Amino acid sequence: MAMQKQYYRRKKVCKFCVERIDNINYKDVKLLSQFVPERAKIMPRRISGVCTPHQRLLSDAIKKARSIALLPFATE
Amino acid sequence: MPNYEIMFIVNPTTPDEDIDKINGQIEGVITAGGGKVGKVEKMGKRRLAYLVKKFREGAYVLFTVEASGAVVREVERRLRVLDSVIKYLTVRMDEDAKRLDKIKVHREKRAARRGRSRAEGGERRGPSQAEQMPEE
Repeated sequence: MAMQKQYYRRKKVCKFCVERIDNINYKDVKLLSQFVPERAKIMPRRISGVCTPHQRLLSDAIKKARSIALLPFATE
Repeated sequence: MPNYEIMFIVNPTTPDEDIDKINGQIEGVITAGGGKVGKVEKMGKRRLAYLVKKFREGAYVLFTVEASGAVVREVERRLRVLDSVIKYLTVRMDEDAKRLDKIKVHREKRAARRGRSRAEGGERRGPSQAEQMPEE
């Protein structure tokens, strides 16, 4: 009886929806830096689980923060 | 008139008085153009995420402004001219604020509705979230 092993993958939820964070501000480095891993790229939705509307706001905020040197474009 | 946030970075070696002088100048430009200065916040020295004009850190200043686009353009021109300002960014805030207000109103409405239905003995239904099938 060849039973396939069942993996349970927890469904990722959008941090911004769960914690009711509506205001994704470019000045909030602490929040934004959670979504920029070491290489300073913006974390894709498939990894972070952020929903599409929030990802859009998030990436906009990150790009603004980058242009005022709050966040890096790339690691040095 | 739209709201803007103007953030700029001043050369870290400039003394505090000079930063105040720049702030005074900018405020002058805004009020002269018929705008209103909401808040001037000196955020202090911060490490920059990357080198800007060979500086590793900079003094951040944040202006919250209610002014027309022409005034903002003039402010940006001034900032470009000033040597001690190494970087600036203007962000329009009112449209974002409008969106946030909308969400807030929506949320309050929903909360009120939910409260009422619970009082009537209605079962609270969770968000119908399609359960993802476990893969493999």
